[in-house]
Amino acid sequence: MAEEDETQDDEAPAVTVLSGRARRGVEFRAILLLLFMAAVLLGSALYLMGARGAFEVTQPLYLLTDDSEGVVVGMDMTFSGFPVGRVSKIDLVGSGEVQIRVDVPVKDAHWLRTSSVYTLERGLVGAARLRAFTGLPDDPPLPDGARRPLLRGDVSEEIPRMVTDARDVLQNIEQLTSRRSDLRQTLQRINVLSGQLASADPESGGLLGALTGNPEDARQISATLGKLNELVTHLDAVVLAVHQQVLGPGGVASEAQAATRELQALLRDVRAAVARLDRILDDGEAVSGNLRTATDGLDDLRGDVQDSLDKVDGMVTELRGKWPFAPSKKEITLP
Amino acid sequence: MRRVHGRGCAMKPACTRQSDSRRLLRQVLYRWFSWWEVLFIGAQLMVLAFSPSSYRKEPRATVLQQIYLAAGPSLPGFTILMAIFNVVVIRIMVVTAFAYGLSSFALQAIVRVLVLELIPLVAALYVAINYSVPGASEIYATEWHSRAAGAVRHPLSYEVLPRVIASVFAVLLLAAVSCIVSLLLAYVAIYGFTLAGAPAYNRAVGHIFDPAVTLIFVLKTGLFALSVAVLPVANALRHFASTASRTRVELRGLMQMFSLLFLIEIASLVGNYQ
Repeated sequence: MAEEDETQDDEAPAVTVLSGRARRGVEFRAILLLLFMAAVLLGSALYLMGARGAFEVTQPLYLLTDDSEGVVVGMDMTFSGFPVGRVSKIDLVGSGEVQIRVDVPVKDAHWLRTSSVYTLERGLVGAARLRAFTGLPDDPPLPDGARRPLLRGDVSEEIPRMVTDARDVLQNIEQLTSRRSDLRQTLQRINVLSGQLASADPESGGLLGALTGNPEDARQISATLGKLNELVTHLDAVVLAVHQQVLGPGGVASEAQAATRELQALLRDVRAAVARLDRILDDGEAVSGNLRTATDGLDDLRGDVQDSLDKVDGMVTELRGKWPFAPSKKEITLP
Repeated sequence: MRRVHGRGCAMKPACTRQSDSRRLLRQVLYRWFSWWEVLFIGAQLMVLAFSPSSYRKEPRATVLQQIYLAAGPSLPGFTILMAIFNVVVIRIMVVTAFAYGLSSFALQAIVRVLVLELIPLVAALYVAINYSVPGASEIYATEWHSRAAGAVRHPLSYEVLPRVIASVFAVLLLAAVSCIVSLLLAYVAIYGFTLAGAPAYNRAVGHIFDPAVTLIFVLKTGLFALSVAVLPVANALRHFASTASRTRVELRGLMQMFSLLFLIEIASLVGNYQ
């Protein structure tokens, strides 16, 4: 072997011999170190046990869900961002449901009420989060060993639907931007139109040419517009002349005012004539009243005459009934 | 032996290939046998360590003396050095985590990198270089000179065992104290000089040290301590009968120790982050 060829050329080490007192001092320090070591280990163990909640009084809360992916033993359940419980056990129960046991420290259990809601949220990145929400803090506190459903909010489950939607949107965009798409054709036409509008060539007809599609028609429209312009000029002169005829001195308006004044005087006369007519009518009405009174007297007179005739008629009838005065003709002629 | 082979097979390629394969086989067997010897000596030391006779009055005094020599003088210096190193690393990690909005992960990263991985390894290497390798070399030299003088001694129980126990103790003590200092420095770096963050901090630390991680951490630190304590000494004992130099024995022990530490570290990483 290779080592057999080598030689030992080291010096013998010097042996350190401690006196009795020094040796006892070293032993004492060694014992102190041992005690310190024991204290460090014991303290560390106690600290870790305390940090993991070994000395906390807890009450179990069972959360039921159909999928516990992302939930691990030891993870925290938070309430408003503060840890109020720790998952201690996950198992399958009943008809394949997942039962998650959460140990809630009794000192934090008052944050959870009978109406509290529990959710399991899984984001695209990061660990799953177990959260509790209490909407009605005045509800009764959560009983020991309560069983509650665990609602799941999973972003990753939305991804397939998002991908499908995104694919539809992309297909629509592709159709919109394809060579035969309506949008592209419309844009091409708009482009032609805008080019025609921006064209400095008078033969193109500008906007009118773009609207009519024919430069000749555009020129006709332009000529028509010129004629219309001349017509408006003439109409303007006519309107000025009419204005002078109507509103000028000696115009129709001033004569109408004079006629109106005469008409007003005429109306005053008519009103006076009507007043006189009213008076005449009043007199006529009085005459009519007198006549009605006289007519009433005639009625009385006629009544009296009627009575007298009735009496005479009665008396004649009575005489006629007595023989020999009874005439052969029993008619009486009234006056 | 090598000279004899070379002379016989000077011009024969087939013979050269045969000698190469034999040499390779012999080296593999030698390595295997050396590891077996180290393991056997380690087992003997473990038996002695758990024997009541090793802790009677005289051996107990030697054990206590070695414990103090291994851990006592090194403790303040190592703790201060590790505290400075921890402050630098913690500061870097906290600033980086806050810059990227990952402040909630800063404590986890600090504890996992420093406390779980770096500190036990550094403590083991420190004790190896500061105490166990020089101690093994000293045992080897003393024993070699005694044998050269014709005296036959059995240093296992009265000289080697106290050093092994002291090395194990020193690694555990230095690692434990530095871990506590690191945890305290991490708290101050994240929350400042206030007790307001204590509940959240305790919860986070408790969350990291779940039973599996704690078990792996304890096993790893214990195996580091055993490796550092046993391998250099076992290599020294193994070479008493040979003529190997002191430096060669030291280097062989260091190589074996580094290999084993490396394997233990990999195994712990696999266990923690599989």
